[in-house]
Amino acid sequence: SLKQHVVRKFLGLISSHNIPVYLIDPLILGLVDKDIEQIRSSDGPSPECKYFCAPRDFTTFALLDKTWKHEVGLFRTAEKMGFQWLKIINKDPRLDGMDDLSGMEIPLHYIFKLASHAIHLVVFYERSGNYLWHGPLRLKQHMDRKFVPFRKLHFGRYPGAYKKPELLHVFIDDLKVQIPKNTSSFLEEMSHSRFLECRYKEARAFFQLYPDDASLDAVEFRIKSKSLLHLAALTLNNLGVKFWLSSGTCLGWYRQCNVIPHSKDVDLGIFIRDYKAEIIPAFQKAGLPLKHKFGKVEDSLELSFQGEEDVKLDIFFFYEEEDYIWNGGTQAKSGKKFKYFFPKFTLCWTEFVELKVHVPCETLQYVEANYGPDWKIPVKVWDWKSSPSNVQDNGVWPVDEWDDVIQIY
Amino acid sequence: MEEWKPNPAVKPHKKRSWYLAWKYKLMNQRALRKLCQTGAVLFLLVTVIVNIKLILDTRRAAYEEEEESAQDYDDEMLNVEVPRHPVNNKKVLDVEVYSSRSKVYVAVDGTTVLEDEAREQGRGIHVIVLNQATGHVMAKRVFDTYSPHEDEAMVLFLNMVARGRILIFTIKDEGSFHLKDTAKSVLKSLGSQVAPFLSWRDMWTFVGKKGGEVYGEKHAKSPALSTWGDPVLLKTEVHLTSVEDAECRWPDTELNRRRKRFCSKVEGYGSVCSCKDPTPIEFNPDPLKDNKVFDVPVAVIAGNRPNYLYRMLRSLLSAQGVNPQMITVFIDGYYEEPMDVVELFGLSGIQHTPISIKNARVSQHYKASLTATFNLFPDAKFAVVLEEDLDISVDFFSFLSQSIHLLEEDESLYCISAWNDQGYEHTAEDPSLLYRVETMPGLGWVLRKSLYKDELEPKWPTPEKLWDWDMWMRMPEQRKGRECIIPDISRSYHFGIVGLNMNGYFHEAYFKKHKFNTVPNVQLKNVESLRKDAYETEIHRLLGEAEVLDHSKNPCEDSFVPDTEGKVYVMFIRMEQDADFTTWTQLAKCLHIWDLDVRGNHKGLWRLFRKKNHFLVVGVPASPYSSKKPSSVTPIYMEPPAKEEGAVAVPAVAAAEQT
Repeated sequence: SLKQHVVRKFLGLISSHNIPVYLIDPLILGLVDKDIEQIRSSDGPSPECKYFCAPRDFTTFALLDKTWKHEVGLFRTAEKMGFQWLKIINKDPRLDGMDDLSGMEIPLHYIFKLASHAIHLVVFYERSGNYLWHGPLRLKQHMDRKFVPFRKLHFGRYPGAYKKPELLHVFIDDLKVQIPKNTSSFLEEMSHSRFLECRYKEARAFFQLYPDDASLDAVEFRIKSKSLLHLAALTLNNLGVKFWLSSGTCLGWYRQCNVIPHSKDVDLGIFIRDYKAEIIPAFQKAGLPLKHKFGKVEDSLELSFQGEEDVKLDIFFFYEEEDYIWNGGTQAKSGKKFKYFFPKFTLCWTEFVELKVHVPCETLQYVEANYGPDWKIPVKVWDWKSSPSNVQDNGVWPVDEWDDVIQIY
Repeated sequence: MEEWKPNPAVKPHKKRSWYLAWKYKLMNQRALRKLCQTGAVLFLLVTVIVNIKLILDTRRAAYEEEEESAQDYDDEMLNVEVPRHPVNNKKVLDVEVYSSRSKVYVAVDGTTVLEDEAREQGRGIHVIVLNQATGHVMAKRVFDTYSPHEDEAMVLFLNMVARGRILIFTIKDEGSFHLKDTAKSVLKSLGSQVAPFLSWRDMWTFVGKKGGEVYGEKHAKSPALSTWGDPVLLKTEVHLTSVEDAECRWPDTELNRRRKRFCSKVEGYGSVCSCKDPTPIEFNPDPLKDNKVFDVPVAVIAGNRPNYLYRMLRSLLSAQGVNPQMITVFIDGYYEEPMDVVELFGLSGIQHTPISIKNARVSQHYKASLTATFNLFPDAKFAVVLEEDLDISVDFFSFLSQSIHLLEEDESLYCISAWNDQGYEHTAEDPSLLYRVETMPGLGWVLRKSLYKDELEPKWPTPEKLWDWDMWMRMPEQRKGRECIIPDISRSYHFGIVGLNMNGYFHEAYFKKHKFNTVPNVQLKNVESLRKDAYETEIHRLLGEAEVLDHSKNPCEDSFVPDTEGKVYVMFIRMEQDADFTTWTQLAKCLHIWDLDVRGNHKGLWRLFRKKNHFLVVGVPASPYSSKKPSSVTPIYMEPPAKEEGAVAVPAVAAAEQT
C-alpha cells in the first residue's frame, strides 16, 4: 500500500537523522487499541498490513522539540527521497506572557507529502506546569492552501495540552514505531486537549489602566495562593477529580493572568458528578483542615478548606441541568440558600501560576454571568450574596437539616 | 527613544541633502535656530506617531486574525502588505560627510546614517564602514582620539575591516591630541593626504575604499589653539561593485551560509570574515564525561556591545561540555548587530524592549531573562547566568558539573559562582580549591530555580526602584545567611571596559590582574568538604595546621610572609563585631585586592594565597575562629586614611558596582 510505503520512508528519514518521533494518529491508535495486548506481546514484524493500510489522508506523528536540533539536513534528505514538505512556524507562547520579549518564531507543525499521502508531524513543547503543548496550525498568506486537505488534520485546529506520555516500542504491521504506552487514555486525553492561552495582551492593557499592587501584602498573598493552588491541584489530580478555576480565581486568570491580590481566597469548581467522598479526607491529609461544609451532595454542596494563614480554598460543586449549570450558596446564620446560574460550558486547559489547569472554554460568558458586563473594572467590595449578577434567592434550608447542611469548624 | 537610530533601509528622505545644506546655512542665524529645532521636533513627533499607529494596527490585525481563523487554518495576517522597495539598481552612491566642533553627520543617498550633535559626547573620529556592493552600513564606531589609547583601538578596528569596503571618517570637536604616528600612517595608507598633518582642533572628512581609490577628502585647519577649524562638508560619489565581487567564495555549507549572511551585514570582526582563511564558527570542544550540567540552561545577558558578545560566545562555545542548544542570549533592546552575532553562531536570541532606565533597566532585563529561561526550559532545576563581557574558562562546565550537586542538596547555599572577587594573579593559586563565601560574586553563576521562583521573582524590585539587581540579591533579606561556592582561581574573566558601571581606570585597577583558569579538566579537590558542617571541620583543620605569622611586622610588606611555598599561614586582625571591616579594608587595599566593599568572607575569615602559601585572615573577636588565636598575639589594627585623602577618587568609583 502507498500509505504504508510513505510511513516506512518517513520513519527511515527520521531515524537516519536520529530524531525520535512517536505515533499519535487517532485512527491508527484506535485500531491498535483494540488489539493492544497482542501488539504489546509480539516482538517481530508481521507481514500483514492491518493498521497502516487503513483508509485515511494522513499519518500523524509527534516530535518532542527538545529532542532534536533543528538541523536543516533533514529537509534536504527528505527532498532527495521525494518528499515535499511544509513548515508552520509561529511565535513562542512561552515568551508571550513576558512583557516586551521577542524571540525567534518556533516550528509548530511539519507536513511531509509523498504522492497522495502525507505525514503530519506535530511539534510538542514542554511548558511550565509539567505538560506538553502543541500549537495551532495557521497558514500564512503565501502558503499553498491545497498542499494537503488541512481541514482533515487531527491536530492543529486548536492548540493542545497533554501529559508527558510514557512511550513503548512496538511492531505495527512490519514497522517498528513508538506509541503512547496507554493508547486508550491517550485517545481520551486527545478529545479534551484544547488549550487556551492566557490573554496576555489584554492583561497588559488592564495593568496599564489599573497598576498592579506591588505591596508586600499583595506579594505574599500571591505566593500563598500559588502554593495553595498547587497543593489543591495535586490533591484533586491524585483523586482523579476534574476541577476548574472558578469565581475570582478564574476572573484573575482571564482579566490579568495572575492572582487578584485582594481576593483573599482561591476558588475551584467541580461537577457534582465527579464528587468523591475522599475529597475531604484527602485535603485534611494534605494539611488543609475543613473550614465549613454547606449543602449536601444532592443540593448546593460547597466546601471550604483553611490554607496557610488567612488564605482559604473554596470548592463549589456545579449541577448540570438541560440548558444551564448552577451552583449553590448558603448563609450560615440564616440558613438562606442562593443559586448561581451559568450558561452551559465545556472545559479547556490553560496554564496558570505554572500549573496546567482547567478553565471554562467559554470563559467570557462564564465570567460575565458571575461578574456582569463590568467585570473588567476591579472592585474591592464584594458581597457574594448580592453582588454577583447571576445570583437568585433559593429559599431556606429546613431547620431540621441545619446540622447536616451547615457545618462550620 | 533615546536609542533611536535612523534605519537606512526604511525611509529614504530624498530631499534630505538640500534640506541639510539649507539648514546649516540658517544655523548661524540665531533667530532661525529655534524655528529649525521646533520643526525637527515636530517632524520627529509625527514620525513617531505614524510608526506607533502602524505597529498598533499590525498588532490588532494580527490578534483579530487569530480569533477568527481558528476555524479554517488561515492566517490572514499578511493582508497588511508591507511595501517593498524596488531593488536598487543604482551603481553610484551620493555621500555627504560633515565635520565640525559640535556636530557631525553622514548621509548616504540622502539617508542620514550618522548624526551626532549631542553636547559633551561623541568627541573624536567617527568611522563608518559601507558595503561596497549594497551601500549598507556595516559598522559605525567613534574613537575618542583626544584621549590616550583610543587610536590603538581604531588601528585595530581598521585592520579588521575587509579590503574593498568603503570607509568614511569625520571628526567631531577634537580628534588629534592622542592620534599617534602609527594611526596616522594607517590613515595615510588608506589614501588620506591630510591625516599625517592633522592637528589640534582641525576639522576633517575623508571617504575612501580600503585598499583602493579615494573618493574625497576635506580639511579645515584650526587657526589658533583656542578656536576650531571651520566646519567642512564633503560631497562625493562612490561607485558600487557587484555583489559577487563583495563576497568571499567559501564552500557552500550550512555554516558558511551563516557566515556569509553575517559578513555581508557587519564589519569589524576580523578573521571570521576572511576570504582566504576564515576562523571557525563551530568549535566542537571535547564532550565532558558524566556531564551533570548538560541539561542546565545557560542565559547570556547582553546589551548593545556586539564585539564583546562575539568574544564571549566564542569562549563559551569552546568550553568543554558546552551544550549550544541550552544557550539563550537575551539582548536588552532591539539591536540588530548583537542578534547577527547570535545567529552567526547558530544560537537562539531574544530581544527585550527596554522598559526602564539605567540600573533599573538592567535589573528588569535580568528578571525578564531569568523568567524566560525557566519558561523555555521548564524541566530545569538550575540556570547558568552569564554576561556578555566575560571570557569563560575551558573547564567552566567541568567545574560546575563537579559542584552542582551541592547546590541541589545543601540548603545553606545561595549560588555557585565562577568568580572569586579576591582571586588576583598574586592571590590565587590552586585551580582545584573551592571556598564558601558570604558574598555573591555574580560574573558567571548558577541560580537554583526554586530560589528564583519561590523567593526572588515575586519580590524582584519593580522598575521605579532604581536598584542594582546584584546589590538587591546581596541584601540580607534575600540572602538570608546563605553562602556561595566559589573557586580559588576564577572560571570567568571580566574583560568589559565599556559599560554602565565600568570605565578604563576602574577596569585596570580591579579586573585586569584577575587570575583566570586556563587548565582543562581540573579535578576539584574535596568537594564534599564544602557542605555546611564539613566546611567547618575543614576550616578548623586548616587553622590547626596553620603557622601564626609574626604580628609585629607590617602585613602590607612582602616580608610579612616567609619565602616558602605550599605552607598555611594565619594572621589575626581586629574586627570588633560582624560588620566591622575597618582593618580588613585597609589590608585589602595594601594587598591590591578588592577593597570597595567586603567580599570573600566566611564568618570573619578570608582565604587567599601569598607567595604560593595559603594565607588565612581571621577577624578577632567577631569571628568564631578567634579561639584559634594564641593569647600572646595582638590582632593587627590598621587605621583608615584621613578623610581628605580618601575622598579623591574612591567615592565616585565605589558607587560603581561590579556587575
